[in-house]
Amino acid sequence: MTFLLTRLNKKINVMNKILLIIQREYLSRVRKKSFILMTLLTPLIVGCFYGLLIYFSIQGASSTNNKIAVVSENKTLTEKLASTKNTSYVYVNKSLAEMKSNLGKDGFDYILYLPEFSLDAPAGIQLLGTKQAGLAMNSKVVDDVENTIRIQKLKESGIAQEDLDKLKSSVNIDNKKIDETGKEQDSSAGATTIIGSAAGILMFMFILIYGIQVMRGVIEEKTSRIIEVMISSVKPFQLMMGKIIGIALVGLTQFVLWILLSATISTVAVKVFVNKNDIPQSAVSTLKAKVGSSIEKQVTDDGPIAYVQKSIANLDLTKIIMVFLFFFIGGYLFYSALYAAIGSAVDSETETQQFIMPVMMPLTLGYVLSLSVVTNDPYGTIAFWLSMIPFTSPIAMMVRLPYGVPDWQLALSMALLVIGFIGTVWIASRIYRVGILMYGKKTSFKEMLKWFTYKN
Amino acid sequence: MLNVNNIVKQYATHLALDDVSLSVEQGKIFGLLGPNGAGKTSLIRIITQITAPDSGEVIFNGQRLNASHISQIGYLPEERGLYKKMEIGEQVLYLARLKGMSSAEATKKVRYWFEKLEMGSWWNKKVEDLSKGMQQKVQFVATVLHEPELIILDEPFSGFDPVNADIIKNEILELNKKGATFIFSTHRMESVEELCDSIALIHHSKKILDGTVAEIKEKYRNNTYWVEYDGEYNLEQAAGIFKVVQKDELKDITKLKVQLEEGKTANQLLSALLPIVNIHRLDEVIPTMNDIFIDQVKQKN
Repeated sequence: MTFLLTRLNKKINVMNKILLIIQREYLSRVRKKSFILMTLLTPLIVGCFYGLLIYFSIQGASSTNNKIAVVSENKTLTEKLASTKNTSYVYVNKSLAEMKSNLGKDGFDYILYLPEFSLDAPAGIQLLGTKQAGLAMNSKVVDDVENTIRIQKLKESGIAQEDLDKLKSSVNIDNKKIDETGKEQDSSAGATTIIGSAAGILMFMFILIYGIQVMRGVIEEKTSRIIEVMISSVKPFQLMMGKIIGIALVGLTQFVLWILLSATISTVAVKVFVNKNDIPQSAVSTLKAKVGSSIEKQVTDDGPIAYVQKSIANLDLTKIIMVFLFFFIGGYLFYSALYAAIGSAVDSETETQQFIMPVMMPLTLGYVLSLSVVTNDPYGTIAFWLSMIPFTSPIAMMVRLPYGVPDWQLALSMALLVIGFIGTVWIASRIYRVGILMYGKKTSFKEMLKWFTYKN
Repeated sequence: MLNVNNIVKQYATHLALDDVSLSVEQGKIFGLLGPNGAGKTSLIRIITQITAPDSGEVIFNGQRLNASHISQIGYLPEERGLYKKMEIGEQVLYLARLKGMSSAEATKKVRYWFEKLEMGSWWNKKVEDLSKGMQQKVQFVATVLHEPELIILDEPFSGFDPVNADIIKNEILELNKKGATFIFSTHRMESVEELCDSIALIHHSKKILDGTVAEIKEKYRNNTYWVEYDGEYNLEQAAGIFKVVQKDELKDITKLKVQLEEGKTANQLLSALLPIVNIHRLDEVIPTMNDIFIDQVKQKN
């Protein structure tokens, strides 16, 4: 009985010490000016950016209306170019030289010059303007002219106008994903890619930033020589875990604050930038979305932002955030233990380079492949393995998640990550306990391997 | 209270401690001496449970050393260190709590010590804003705050100015009087003679000498005396009683450093001199710990 009590007491004692260390590591970082500044400024920048983006896309959609004067010497194409929403074609009965001299004063933005050519080999078409036509503008005009020529050619080959009209069809693909229960879900490749990539980038940043903070913390304890005092009070493992967990909490605090602040700021920003008079798409579409699915198609027609917003609404955000938190903690533990081992092996930050490389490589590789291969083929073999191997799974799985990942894969990946971080924490703690007491020695990988095999 | 039994510690390429045994008595001040790199720090790290010995054992108050003893040991390492960006008060509190003190108890103690050592205004200062001497003081407080039974000080006076060194010395003596046992690790012998009751000398990973300071000095006496007199004394008459090691002739006074022959006493030395010259002074030359230290280390080399 007394034996059990002393064991229990010891356990409580150990926990208390780890808690104390966590508390110090957490508070000393959260109170830092740089942390407060970063936490407040980042969402402000993101929020304003988001607000501006919406503002400009709304403004952009309604204001860039180009008026193009068409000088046509081509009989077959006269009065055939049809104006569209943002581009209006006006056929003028003036010569090119005449128009050129008046350009900018007569209310036209561009002159489209169509010389006489055979429809089989159109050549010599010019688009003139006081300013260089943008890429989008240029391809729009090219499309319009090509289209007109094609219709003209079809007519020449004897197809009647009515038949041509019948040929026209408006195609709009509704992306629907069918889950295991057979339920259909609206999805959008665009939105999932955005969410997935954003989560992947965030994961990469978090692991990198906070992993390096762990390393710095260890080096700081070593160079300030407090380590010997600490280790005479607590076990190296407790100190390492306390530090890792404390910094993880700093990361989570920042993450949660970012989400809350970004949401608040972007809502405010949208309200500020978008005044009621030009509420065109987004507001209307939200309204429509509320009215019912029957008009959904029109909603998607209304504008890209509304479309993305709607798709985001259809993603299971709670699940994504929960999984994100799990993979963040898992991935962070996995890597930060390695960073702690590196920090323990060196005397100053300048010496860390050779050790950081091998840790950074899989992380960076995972990041790059996730944003290229995985987004292109989220269900492929490479994507599968990247999201299973603990070195890359935190990022790859986050990128894959919005596309939908079978539950067994998610569970397997999580389990592997847990095994992975227990492994790295164990390896790191063995290197750490020796490394922190080594001074003035240039450490090599061989040396670290030797430390690993040391008895206590 | 502390018994170190046959400790061996092997690092990758060198043997840091080779079968070292020593024993520290309750309430005494024990000096752990040795040149740099002798193995003092390795031994201290084993006693403070920073590392474990390859073989041998440490007995603390009759129990094999274990984690429950951490709170009963205070350790001031030679390489002093504190968190540079952390406030002093908070930092000492943190270190005390890691030793197992409750928050309230630790706060009370920190206040007491800060008051006592006139550090009251430092509470909210950061370590990096303090002078080196001030940092040493903070570190000393952090070492003794949790009232450990055994306090291990590695080069305790390095970095202190004479005034503060004196303050710290008095604190050590006071704590000792209250019952704390001390282990001093140092290679500065003056402080050893002043403070230590017993010592152990470690050289090249081995213990080469130990015992109480009095015993050791007794052992290293070699019947050498300084005699001062005026008058003429023919040294040839001294044959069989003593031989002259060193002779300084001043204006009126002659100073002799003499070594008695086997079995002779100081009385016989005096009897030989008294009838002939006027004696001014007779001193026994007792070797300082410094002499013994140097002598021993040289012998072993």
